[in-house]
Amino acid sequence: MSPRRHRLPAAIAAAAVAAALAGGCARVKPYEREHLARRSMTADRAPGEARFEQHARGSREGADGGTGEAGGGCGCN
Amino acid sequence: MWMQLTPARGLRRSALPGRLPAAAGAIALALALAPAGAARAGGEVTVRGAYYKERATRVAQPMLDARFDVGDSGELSAHTLIDSISSASVAAGAAGEPFDENRYELGATYLHRIDRFRFGGGARGSVEPDYESVFVHLRGEAELASRNTVLSLALAGGRDSISNAGAQSDITQPIEGTLYTAMGSLSLSQILSPLLVGQVTYDLIRLDGFQENPYRSVAAGGMLEPERVPETRLRHAVLGALRAFVPVTRSTLVGSYRFYADDWGVIGHTPEVRLVQELTADVDLHLRYRLHLQGAADFYQEIYDTADPAIEPWLTDDVKLSELTTHTLGVKLDLGLSRLGAAGALGAARVGGLFEYIFQSTYYGNAISAQLAVTVPFDY
Repeated sequence: MSPRRHRLPAAIAAAAVAAALAGGCARVKPYEREHLARRSMTADRAPGEARFEQHARGSREGADGGTGEAGGGCGCN
Repeated sequence: MWMQLTPARGLRRSALPGRLPAAAGAIALALALAPAGAARAGGEVTVRGAYYKERATRVAQPMLDARFDVGDSGELSAHTLIDSISSASVAAGAAGEPFDENRYELGATYLHRIDRFRFGGGARGSVEPDYESVFVHLRGEAELASRNTVLSLALAGGRDSISNAGAQSDITQPIEGTLYTAMGSLSLSQILSPLLVGQVTYDLIRLDGFQENPYRSVAAGGMLEPERVPETRLRHAVLGALRAFVPVTRSTLVGSYRFYADDWGVIGHTPEVRLVQELTADVDLHLRYRLHLQGAADFYQEIYDTADPAIEPWLTDDVKLSELTTHTLGVKLDLGLSRLGAAGALGAARVGGLFEYIFQSTYYGNAISAQLAVTVPFDY
């Protein structure tokens, strides 16, 4: 892989982290979190649903990850 | 092996779990740690059926997920599932026979909270005739900035044992291999406003060991040669996501993008958008679209001119490593059973149905995927 290919994900990660941290300066108080507590805002995928999707995609696509969970376990990685 | 679409070279043996996964130990340990006479606790159980079908492969996967409060500060989640696979593929050009195979999986995770921190770990085991896998993981979370920020770190390690024991005939020599996996994942979730949450996750995964498909043969130099790929693979994935709620329409919009790269030369771009529309207080409609664009591995070819390792050290025609495009359209309906007239404990239960249509540019052809789940909360 060329060095340019390595730099791109690092740049994306750095930009995303910086954006998130910058947003952290504007703290949201607990009483302002009514909408954030909604079912659709906490998670719209159940663990089993996400697990099956990751498993199927892992056996059909060469890219994997980004979920914080290790794939594989079945020869599909 | 799960959905490999490679010739089975004969009927496969029936599968039975070969050993008790370590996850059972984690469950017992967590329950033992639960304080006697603890305050009333709760949890939920989800029964799910999942189905996947494409031209030559069909998968049915019943699964059971459970989550329990353990004492005042602990949470135990566990799952078990069976992959039931039927395939009639002749993907690599050999005389493949239809085969059926079952894979059994069991996993559990325990997380314990102390003030603003949560930490814990778990294990997952999987058994099928030609593949056994054990994963363990540790996880820690810290809530920062008055719970506006959650920082998570996960570490995982796995050991897979691979063989060609699933084939009964035409085996010229047994093949066995071991694959070790190590993963580190760093995730940051940030409340950006009363209506907006952002998240970024970086996964680093290193694979070391046997990564070939023991059934796959590759056309090289006019012959069929066993697949051979590098022993190590370093994978990077960065996912950024934004989740926003629109009060006027009671809609939740989720947008995400994943960038993937590995040292085999595979580059992937995966944007996804999801809309969750509240139709009533307990009925949600989900609409989804996902695009996956992927470039080929540096050494991927459909046919090689030679099998000489000095010229072609690696041989693979695995379409997962080819240039490919996948479009996924999905719709899901999620509703409370009270909407259907259920009362009592069942009145708090939810049922969800998901259907996806998957356009695949590879020879797998288009696919459908469906799931139906019932989640029942409980107290104890």
